[in-house]
Amino acid sequence: MSTKPLYVMLCSGEHEKIQLAAMVASVAAVSDRPVEVFVTMNALLPFERGKTPQERYQGGHFHDLFVTKNVPDAIELFSQGKMLGDMKMWACSLVLDLKHWECDTHLSEGLFDGPMGLAKFLADAESGELITI
Amino acid sequence: MAERQKIDARGAFCPGPLMELIAALKLASVGDEIDLWSSDKGSAADIPAWCAKVGHAVVESTEHDGYWSVVVRKAK
Repeated sequence: MSTKPLYVMLCSGEHEKIQLAAMVASVAAVSDRPVEVFVTMNALLPFERGKTPQERYQGGHFHDLFVTKNVPDAIELFSQGKMLGDMKMWACSLVLDLKHWECDTHLSEGLFDGPMGLAKFLADAESGELITI
Repeated sequence: MAERQKIDARGAFCPGPLMELIAALKLASVGDEIDLWSSDKGSAADIPAWCAKVGHAVVESTEHDGYWSVVVRKAK
């Protein structure tokens, strides 16, 4: 497995894609690979503070299975990745501006390292591998 | 003295068992062993691959009725 940093651009609000991003990011982070996740567009909506797992997500067939089975919650997986590995999470500054949100008050507590613009994330991502979900 | 701790992660879905193992290894001492029980079909392959990547040792891996027991020794 490569040790190049992994950059994940998460833009979909679909539960299945957020779940996959959480799995990829957390497993890479605990496998000694630095990970940075840039959350933008509809993907940021489930991270609004105060939402329950039942309220957060929209999705299809697997969404129904995720919420009824003992599948780790995506936000909990991101938290574990940060706690156990080298992972940073950034909230898109455009979406924060449009929603009049602040990372410290409107997003899931302790998850985001701050706001970030796209140009900075893309510049940083040149040092590693970028995937978009 | 090295210890062996059992984690029963049966019923948890991927990557839950792996994350439980990693959390336990963080708290363990070098030489301690974690016996992870997992019914997740990917764990039998995922956990040895993860150990090979990060440098821990798989002591044994045994298939039981409906679950795997994978024993990992903390090596660093």
